[in-house]
Amino acid sequence: MVTNVTNFSRSGLYDWMAQRVSAVILAVYVLFLLGFILCNPGLGYAEWHALFSNNAMRIFSLLTLVALSVHAWVGMWTISTDYLTPMALGKWATGVRFLFQAACGVAMFAFFAWGVQIFWGN
Amino acid sequence: MLLYGLDKSLMSAEGFAEVKECLTSPLAKFVIWGLLSALLYHLVAGVRHLIMDMGIGETLEGGKLGSKIVLVVSTILIVLLGVWIW
Repeated sequence: MVTNVTNFSRSGLYDWMAQRVSAVILAVYVLFLLGFILCNPGLGYAEWHALFSNNAMRIFSLLTLVALSVHAWVGMWTISTDYLTPMALGKWATGVRFLFQAACGVAMFAFFAWGVQIFWGN
Repeated sequence: MLLYGLDKSLMSAEGFAEVKECLTSPLAKFVIWGLLSALLYHLVAGVRHLIMDMGIGETLEGGKLGSKIVLVVSTILIVLLGVWIW
């Protein structure tokens, strides 16, 4: 199937698991960052920079970037195969869906590369 | 997702002060509020999914109650977020 071949793992069950594991990682990261900002009201550049140059934080950030890519792919794949269908768009649906997924893939890769540059380059 | 990239510029920018300065403008605050509101709602709704995966609230009644709880909790958090930003 043209819809199945583009999913993350070729297995719905594995995708389901990957979506949930990545969700937990993303939730922990977001809550941690929000908590850090809330606990440091007058945050200055030195503290902010120190937080992100810590090796543990860099690994945590990279893990989150991977989780974000996985989570976004599973999510966008689900949306595109649910709504960009021949029933909704007629005979060009497969082409439109492929282009949409390709654009998502390029965007996600760009975000990933940019993120690595930010977290490990500064 | 594209706009979310803006958040990241915060770290790469040498001018931390510049970003801080920018975030004092009402428009920037509103945009940040919008982005974080969407994120918070997604987070709360996602936690509901995980709770339902554990088999809690899977009935029709439970589903309705759960969706209301998600809306109420998200609204409270989004309002608190707004208070914190301004």
